[in-house]
Amino acid sequence: MAGLTPRIRSMPYLILIGRLVISATFILAALPKIQDPAAFAVSVEGYRMVTANLAMWIALALPWLELVTGFGLLIPQIRRGSALVITLLLAVFIALHASAWARGLDINCGCFNAHESEKTPDYFWLILRNIGLLTACIFVLIRDWQHWVRREDTSTS
Amino acid sequence: MLREFCIILLLTVIGVAYSLVSGLSPLPSESPELEAGEIRMADAKALNAIWVDAGGTNEFEERHTPEALLLGEDDWDTGLFELMNIWLIEPHPIIIYCESEGCGKSKRIAERLRESLPDAEIYSLKGGSAAWQD
Repeated sequence: MAGLTPRIRSMPYLILIGRLVISATFILAALPKIQDPAAFAVSVEGYRMVTANLAMWIALALPWLELVTGFGLLIPQIRRGSALVITLLLAVFIALHASAWARGLDINCGCFNAHESEKTPDYFWLILRNIGLLTACIFVLIRDWQHWVRREDTSTS
Repeated sequence: MLREFCIILLLTVIGVAYSLVSGLSPLPSESPELEAGEIRMADAKALNAIWVDAGGTNEFEERHTPEALLLGEDDWDTGLFELMNIWLIEPHPIIIYCESEGCGKSKRIAERLRESLPDAEIYSLKGGSAAWQD
């Protein structure tokens, strides 16, 4: 981590691009699901991890959390918290896809659109994409953390 | 950091409230009128369906509809053979019922039957045989 820190500090444009890509991804993923939570609930149920009632609550709240954190990543006052929530969400998504893949489930991913085609998702691609986003998010999180620590140091000295 | 999480949570709750108030989403605690694989009696009667009673033999003799078949969990193979003989000749939708809404047997039989007859159109009757008698 010690060797990584100066390198992250030296690539602000890459961090900015990463931040914009993650933000756009989460906002675009959230909007169709907010418009049709019932269809998204069916996708959530497809993972066979929660009851129908809990799936409906998840389908109701998760898209709003994605939207808020997607925008939040661009708002200085909440960008650290947003980056942390997105990191956790991506880790959960990766675990869910891996679990569904291992169980051979033929599900609708529910990632961007509740009405996605009903063919078996390409789990390898889904997991790879989320690992890419997770890596970018960890870099953004480290950068925001460094920024916050520097600001705290300046204000105390 | 805690302040940031509180803001994120507050904004998310406002969003959820908007979805509920604007009617984008039904209240999750409201169970849907029909669950997946269920059919109402009015719709069932409109179909030229094969009726299947999911009860045991005694219950079947007490309440079965004139043309219903018995397909219980205890005597699965015999019931399935009889049902397949009919369905293969005339592949109509199959509607399974048990004694009441909460008995759950019709849903279990429907699930099992979907595995045995993946091409068949299979429903469990909402309200059970009580709905038939209404």
